[in-house]
Amino acid sequence: MSLQWLRQRERGSVAALHFMVWVALRLGRPAARALLYPICAYYVVFSGRARRAIRQFLFRVLGRRISWRHLFHHYHCFASTILDRVYSLVGQHHRFQIDVQGADLLTDYLNRGQGCILLGSHLGSFEIVRALGMSRRNLEIKVLLHEDNAPMIREVVRSLNPQIADTVITVGAPDTMLQVKDCLDRGGLVGFMGDRLVQHHQATLCKFFGTLARFPTGTMRLTSVLKAPVILFFGLYRGGNRWEVHFELFAEHVILDKEHHDQQIQQWTQRYADRLEHYCRLAPDNWFNFYDFWSER
Amino acid sequence: MSGVSPLEEEVAKLIVQTLNLKIDPVQIQPEQLLFGKGLGLDSIDALELSLAISQSYGYHIRSDDPEITATLASLRSLCTSIQKNRTK
Repeated sequence: MSLQWLRQRERGSVAALHFMVWVALRLGRPAARALLYPICAYYVVFSGRARRAIRQFLFRVLGRRISWRHLFHHYHCFASTILDRVYSLVGQHHRFQIDVQGADLLTDYLNRGQGCILLGSHLGSFEIVRALGMSRRNLEIKVLLHEDNAPMIREVVRSLNPQIADTVITVGAPDTMLQVKDCLDRGGLVGFMGDRLVQHHQATLCKFFGTLARFPTGTMRLTSVLKAPVILFFGLYRGGNRWEVHFELFAEHVILDKEHHDQQIQQWTQRYADRLEHYCRLAPDNWFNFYDFWSER
Repeated sequence: MSGVSPLEEEVAKLIVQTLNLKIDPVQIQPEQLLFGKGLGLDSIDALELSLAISQSYGYHIRSDDPEITATLASLRSLCTSIQKNRTK
């Protein structure tokens, strides 16, 4: 795991993004999806470092030579999730066919007024969870994000749906996690991703596809302090208008004792890495960490 | 280290104990920043600390308190707020 994603600038420009949004909303999904082909072709050719990272990832998962076709498909899958995020943001969830697995688990907690942590990743899209939230009135959903690397995307999101932009809790201020705790205490859902390292010194090594990678320690520290049930969440894009959502109980409560703190963080994080690996095998084309995940830097 | 109040001494101990810090409580200067460059605490530490404060002093630090950043700045500012809001 590395900090490369922080250093990688957002590609494209605000104008291009707004244009895509305009096409998506004015001309419709088929027209917008047709436009994804030239866009993806451009990125496959010109995004050297990201392309190498994806090639490396796919090679680890599939264990065979990765062709341009694989790479193009990967970029296309990513672009499709971004496009569907636009429809999700403006509330057009009827466009998707969503197959949900493990929803009862979540519903049981929520019916009891128990707030839950949704532990996700950059495999697939988190946004699709909002489509499910729509069917429950008054369900508070917050997402914890490190946004410094994506000011442009944030601006576009705000223009599409200012209310959703307000549900984002940005990591950084001392009171960030108090906001998270307060949301859980109100019986809400808080989502965060456990796969990207934010601070270099706060990492633990976990086996991921047979090789050690750096995962953030903050995820398990946070879940243990919050004392709320942790539910794994994967929103996988399956082509066309199909989405597959998986909920899975990770822990009723992550407990870390002070004596074996670091060791237990590693063990819990390894469990997360194992489940992430499992879902990566289900949908390798949904891996959206476009940097060398195993990098030591 | 002059002018450390008994409450400050007590809360310094609470900080070290709660967050399992490898330092002596007297090493925390009252005006030193707790977060970022000072003592180097992060927002997860802030949450853990405020839960401990709520338990020990009955003062629940709320995320929508406009003064929250100032409260959490240093040991001294934290103790001033505890003094003002404590229920036990």
